Amino acid sequence: MSTAAPIAVGGVGLRSRKRSLRIQASIVAWLLALGVWQVATLVSGGWVPSLDRIALAFLEDLTTAQVWADIWVTFRRILVTFSAATVIGVALGVAMGLNRRIAAFFRPIIVIGLAIPDLVYIIVAILVLGTEESSGLIALVIALVPFVVNIVVSGVGARDQGLDEMSSVYRLGRRRYLLDVLGRQVAPALLAAARTSFAFAWKLIVLVEALTQPRGIGAQIYYSFRLLRPDHMISLALLFIIVLRATEAIVFTPLERRLLGWMR
Amino acid sequence: MRPELPTPAGPEGNGDYIRVEGLRVSYDGTTLALADLDLVASRGDFVAVLGPSGCGKSTLLHAMSGVLQPQAGEIEIGGHAVQGSMGSDAPLIGYVFQDHRLLPWRTVAQNISIVLHAAGVPRAEIESRIDRYLKMLQIDRLRDAWPMRLSGGQRQRVSIARALALQPAVVLMDEPFSTLDEVTARLMRQQLAELWRESSQTIVFVTHSIREALFLANRVYVLTKGPARVMEVVDIPIERPRRYEDPRLTDLEGQIVDRVMSVWGYGEPESEPTHKERQ
Repeated sequence: MSTAAPIAVGGVGLRSRKRSLRIQASIVAWLLALGVWQVATLVSGGWVPSLDRIALAFLEDLTTAQVWADIWVTFRRILVTFSAATVIGVALGVAMGLNRRIAAFFRPIIVIGLAIPDLVYIIVAILVLGTEESSGLIALVIALVPFVVNIVVSGVGARDQGLDEMSSVYRLGRRRYLLDVLGRQVAPALLAAARTSFAFAWKLIVLVEALTQPRGIGAQIYYSFRLLRPDHMISLALLFIIVLRATEAIVFTPLERRLLGWMR
Repeated sequence: MRPELPTPAGPEGNGDYIRVEGLRVSYDGTTLALADLDLVASRGDFVAVLGPSGCGKSTLLHAMSGVLQPQAGEIEIGGHAVQGSMGSDAPLIGYVFQDHRLLPWRTVAQNISIVLHAAGVPRAEIESRIDRYLKMLQIDRLRDAWPMRLSGGQRQRVSIARALALQPAVVLMDEPFSTLDEVTARLMRQQLAELWRESSQTIVFVTHSIREALFLANRVYVLTKGPARVMEVVDIPIERPRRYEDPRLTDLEGQIVDRVMSVWGYGEPESEPTHKERQ
């Protein structure tokens, strides 16, 4: 009499198969993108730089000290803008989420702030404050704050009111409530707000640098454009994207693991 | 003929540790949730508040804990008026919510310790209290577990441990076993009755289950359909430890069912005179 073979159920095998499928899909997507790029190079008659030209420009930029100095200038500007926008946005967002009067006062301002194109902030700041470095940074902070506020207000609004009551009954106090109850509930929203702020800061800083500054990656990309060196424009952007992704992996991912580890 | 229910001995003689008088609560300013509700409990008493779903039982506990500001009436616990945030010398209140309300990002032990820290319990004592109450509720092996990994019954045990570890003068319990399966709920009722007998805590236990109220409490306040008024106050003259299947509880249950049938059903609540009016 034959006995039925044991059936392998889910577990490690299924997980590793899913992971392998994800890696395969990612490789296919990359190859497809590179193939499309190469076709675009051929079709554009050389205006879209070929992959090998970009690779050579990348290696050249990678070994140029001036490029690293410019990366540091842009990175410092991003940090200043991101930090200011996150601190102001989170404070205002929490206040609006907890207090109806504050929310009623600031909501129309935030709605208008979200609707104004970022370029308008930059141009107005240049007209009012001149082409100093600070004018661009102030414009960017003003442009970013409404985005951060919007995300934080939604996070605070979606909190579990039952935990508010628990905190009140057990007299946890304001500090414990903000850190241990509210803070942990809105942590996913805060992380999303910080990531949004970081990503937008990079995109807008490059624009400000191209328009007003002699130094920074944005200024170098614009300089390469004026010299008709698209391969260097792309390689500079790639280099800075790698720096930003590394920052995200070093700062945001461990922070996320620490704050949201209990969900796993 | 109306069945004879045991007559309450009268709270006045016992010394009122909890005193709720003329309590009136409305959420929107027009519809009343509680209408002139009175309740008293002496120190170490186990009082059940019995009423149909949605009648305002939880509102009563909210007001008693200071979370909710009533429109009228007075609440005193241990001689301190309950008004929003009470003074630091006010008696501690433990609260067992219907839905446990544990912090999901804190372990079982941390959920208890945060409350003890806030209450100013010395650091050296916090760990021993956590160990003691987790053991008492037979969940000491879950000390470092995340709440989301626990069953409903285990979470509710943690919630009870959190309330009791505070060693409060008063524990307010809002239908804590209503979401559990019947077997777990019976075990927990038994356990709660034993824990109460070992402590000197005053418990106000809200429920819509007549048998649960009769099994646990010394005195049962039967409320009308919302807006809640006290319809009946019943003393339970049955010695402890009690058995859930005790035929005397069945008799009392039958009498109360007869009394509340028209009031909790679709009849007008006003058709039944309140406890206050009968007096």
